[in-house]
Amino acid sequence: MDNNLEGTGERKLQCNDVSKCFQLLESILDGNDAPDSQEVLKSKLAKCQPCFEHYHLEAAIKEVLRTKCTKHEVPSQLVEDIRQKIEEIK
Amino acid sequence: MSEVQRKKYSDQEKNRIFDGEFMPHIDSMYNFGYRLTFDEDDAKDLVQDTYLKAYRFINSFEQGTNAKAWLFRILKNSFINDYRKKSKQPAKVDYQEVETYYNSDDVDYGITSDLRVDSVKDMLGDEISNALNSLAVDFRTVIILCDLEGFTYEEMAKILDIPIGTVRSRLHRARNLLKDKLRSYAQDMGYKTDEEE
Repeated sequence: MDNNLEGTGERKLQCNDVSKCFQLLESILDGNDAPDSQEVLKSKLAKCQPCFEHYHLEAAIKEVLRTKCTKHEVPSQLVEDIRQKIEEIK
Repeated sequence: MSEVQRKKYSDQEKNRIFDGEFMPHIDSMYNFGYRLTFDEDDAKDLVQDTYLKAYRFINSFEQGTNAKAWLFRILKNSFINDYRKKSKQPAKVDYQEVETYYNSDDVDYGITSDLRVDSVKDMLGDEISNALNSLAVDFRTVIILCDLEGFTYEEMAKILDIPIGTVRSRLHRARNLLKDKLRSYAQDMGYKTDEEE
């Protein structure tokens, strides 16, 4: 993210099409975006405060989900059990 | 999956696909199973059942396609068709609530959140996990698939057997619900929210 955009102070405070914009921002964040999406993203974040806030909050949540969610170790016996069952049905 | 399949892979090929393309995903599969059931034994049963089905129907797997998505789809179907049926907690109540949400096409993208980025970043893993785990299973599932496992909308649509538009709207609703939970945690734990200012 371009940090220079953070201090522009020229963003509009209300988004004209929240529904469309937020859906687009989430698509871009999720990597399901069109080829020109980075340009669209830069433009929206520079011009619209609600879009800017929504995008950064969603990005932060996505990041903590990915990095901080509790992971459970696969029980050691599971792989062996699966292989044994496979042998039985072969 | 159909029981009637043409012979496609030799036994040697089957073993190679199983070991090379299926087994490397067992960690993600187990965690998906655990996050659906919250029970170690149920998660083990789901994963074991999934891998047995995967081997049994291996001829319907096309090499070069996404094995992880294929396995996740099998596990999801096993969860719905087998686990939920025999579960003592049929999840009827929250599912009805979920369906009511789905039946509306009018997704409210205007919901704003006073949750702060810094508060989210400061949260502990347990708080994040608890918030995710508190969501109804269908909302939890889309967040797991998208944010934890990195599936595309198209892959999610195939795993869940729903249109891509429904993936988008369900994901958005799930995220709004998750933000509500995280905001509650933030307030309870004394993290700052804009509401307090």
